[in-house]
Amino acid sequence: MSDYLRSYLTVGIFGLVGVALVGVFLGLGRILRPDHPNLAKNEAYESGVEPTGDMWSQANIRYYVFALLFVMFDVEAVFIFPWAARLEAYEVFGLIEMAIFIFILLLGLIYAWRKGVLKWV
Amino acid sequence: MLAALAAEVGDFVRPPIDWHAAAPELTLLAFGVLLTLMDIVWLERGRKWAPALASIGLLATMVPIITLAVDGADRSMFGGAFVVDKYALIMKAVFILAGYIVVLISSNYISEGDYWENEYYGLLLSSILGMILMASARDLITIFIALELLSIPAYMLATWRKRDLKSNEAGLKYYLMGVFASAILLYGMSLLYGASGTTLLVDLNESISASDSPSAIVVMGIIFVIVGFAFKVSAVPFHTWAPDTYEGAPTPVTAFLSVASKAAGFVALMNMLFVGFIGRDDVYEPMIFALAAVSMTVGNLIALRQTNIVRMLAYSGVAQAGYMLAPLAVASDVPDSALAATVSYLVIYAVMNLGAFAVVIAVARKTRSAEIDDYRGLFHYAPGLTVAMTIFLFALAGIPPLGGWWAKFRIMGAVIEANTVSGVVLGVFVAVNSVIALYYYARIGAKMWADEAPDGDLTPVRVPASLKSALVLTVAATIVFGVLPGLVGDVTKVSLLAGVGG
Amino acid sequence: MIGLLAAASADMDLYVAQNIFFGIIAAQMIYAAFRVVTTANVVHAALWLVLVLSGVAVQFILLGAEFVAITQVLVYIGAVVVLFLFGVMLTRASMGADESVASEKRSMATVVGVLLFTVMAVSLIDSFEDTRLVIDEPQSTTLVSDSIFSQYIVPFEAVSVLLLAALIGAIVVARRD
Repeated sequence: MSDYLRSYLTVGIFGLVGVALVGVFLGLGRILRPDHPNLAKNEAYESGVEPTGDMWSQANIRYYVFALLFVMFDVEAVFIFPWAARLEAYEVFGLIEMAIFIFILLLGLIYAWRKGVLKWV
Repeated sequence: MLAALAAEVGDFVRPPIDWHAAAPELTLLAFGVLLTLMDIVWLERGRKWAPALASIGLLATMVPIITLAVDGADRSMFGGAFVVDKYALIMKAVFILAGYIVVLISSNYISEGDYWENEYYGLLLSSILGMILMASARDLITIFIALELLSIPAYMLATWRKRDLKSNEAGLKYYLMGVFASAILLYGMSLLYGASGTTLLVDLNESISASDSPSAIVVMGIIFVIVGFAFKVSAVPFHTWAPDTYEGAPTPVTAFLSVASKAAGFVALMNMLFVGFIGRDDVYEPMIFALAAVSMTVGNLIALRQTNIVRMLAYSGVAQAGYMLAPLAVASDVPDSALAATVSYLVIYAVMNLGAFAVVIAVARKTRSAEIDDYRGLFHYAPGLTVAMTIFLFALAGIPPLGGWWAKFRIMGAVIEANTVSGVVLGVFVAVNSVIALYYYARIGAKMWADEAPDGDLTPVRVPASLKSALVLTVAATIVFGVLPGLVGDVTKVSLLAGVGG
Repeated sequence: MIGLLAAASADMDLYVAQNIFFGIIAAQMIYAAFRVVTTANVVHAALWLVLVLSGVAVQFILLGAEFVAITQVLVYIGAVVVLFLFGVMLTRASMGADESVASEKRSMATVVGVLLFTVMAVSLIDSFEDTRLVIDEPQSTTLVSDSIFSQYIVPFEAVSVLLLAALIGAIVVARRD
């Protein structure tokens, strides 16, 4: 258990160093750079076309299907992962069970494709 | 770093699988897949075959259920997580037959509206698959997955009339309340798992009933689990979704929700109570008692004031859930007769309520409404439907010799047999509420028989063949169950305690 | 004898270290959870939620449950938050700050929340008191896998039907025609 936690300590330190690096460089930039803001500089596209309207626009419901498919196969991955760790022990039994599992989920993807909801336009 | 993932553990022992015991689920799954494949290959051209394929699938699923019943042996897999006994088989048969009748009353309704037909039947089958799985589930995880499998398609089906705001409201309310209940339920299950360290209900019971007084966490776990299922069976005060959902959902779906979905909630509750919590009656019995008494009374009192027949049936369903909960409040005193009483009530309730909804669908084909006032003078232009509706309403009220009286008689018998204060009080509640309920059932009867038709419009109602056969089946069953009560009585003589050993 | 004592004290050190890290992460999670419900901006709420959920993942790692931690990251931070943000993008409401969402019925929600917290805290403390769970070995994924493929094989296959039904139903409900 202690070896295990020590190895994750490395991960934690690595993460902290990553956060610290970003902080240090942004902080350094702030200290070193000249700071003279004006209206033209603060525009979204400086010396470009002036943006109009609201920044917010409603996304098309069509894209929702992609999010759904992502969730579905994400969950599938969670189940495939442990199976893969023990692939050899389960032999044909595990293969058949997983094949049924994936086949049923695949029906969903084929369904979405056949019903034309995967078209991007 | 991921060394643990690859660490070797002991040899894997392949679980023994009794294919005969799993045959009903596998058959239904196969037909569900077939239906989806048909949809994928033929698209809209498969529409006209979808209801037929769904009914064939349901009837084919009856075959292994019957062979298992003939065989008669109790089967148990995975250390008792999946059990096939008489009780499970009866409930599976109820779900399958209720599903079949729902297909019969759906076929014209769905094909005439602008609905997604193939998907409708696919979702219906997957919901029924969840229900028959629930009948065999004796394990927290299996129960939870079965509950989600039967609920999630039902949420979608409730909102199937996509362009209708009421249907959207129905689906949304049902979904939000449903997932809320699932979350509470799952939290309760996790507390129970934390307290006992097992997901098997048999072991759970052994673990939580070992001490004299329950630990606080077990009490919380049991309360959360019961609250979760109380939403599912629409018991007061967790019934608020039911009237709006029933009114807005397509009527065949409402029939499905009010019968099959409610029965599945009861099956889950009974599995939990009779196998998992039976030793902790000091915790669950007062709670079930309160739920039962309040559900009957509130459901009936609100039903009195309804002007829409679907909403009235929704509130009457709340009251009926109260009746069915009543024997469970004395589950530890008279376990066998309490279980048998609730199971027989479920069987008979399924028949009469499906029948009532079939009539509502038939009448709405002409009147396009479900207002009770539009049932005035029904006898003058649809005598057959009027007779059928009267039979179902009087059966629901519990008047002999129709099916309902026997169901109520069993409930009364069980609570009185318990010979406890709470049992007798519940008996009084059931008796008083039956009288209240008679008033609103009879009111519709009077409107149909005695009043004149609105606008003097006497064009007969055209009832399509599938709807007609559903009506014939339910009328026949309602009468047979009432005249030959021994039939249900013999079949529902079930016990869930065999696995617990006492 | 001395070796045993040394091993015991090493165990104790580890135990203390685990508890310190637990405390730090728990504090971060509580702060983030408060921000989820108090921020007026839905997108910020979703991002604070990511912080809470990653805190949960770290707690699982501290408990030696690697697989659960990975699942937490993959499913919750990956999928659920994506759905959450999609939901926000699809609504017609503005993405910016919305005071009305946060302020309505706040007192009622606070009462319910505090009440539930008290009841749960009391019953958990009462039930487990000072039980010490000793975790010798991190839980291996093979253990999880073996239980999925033996005891829980039926719910495992049922999950695939559940996901398929949810997908098909959601497509029908969500599509425009």
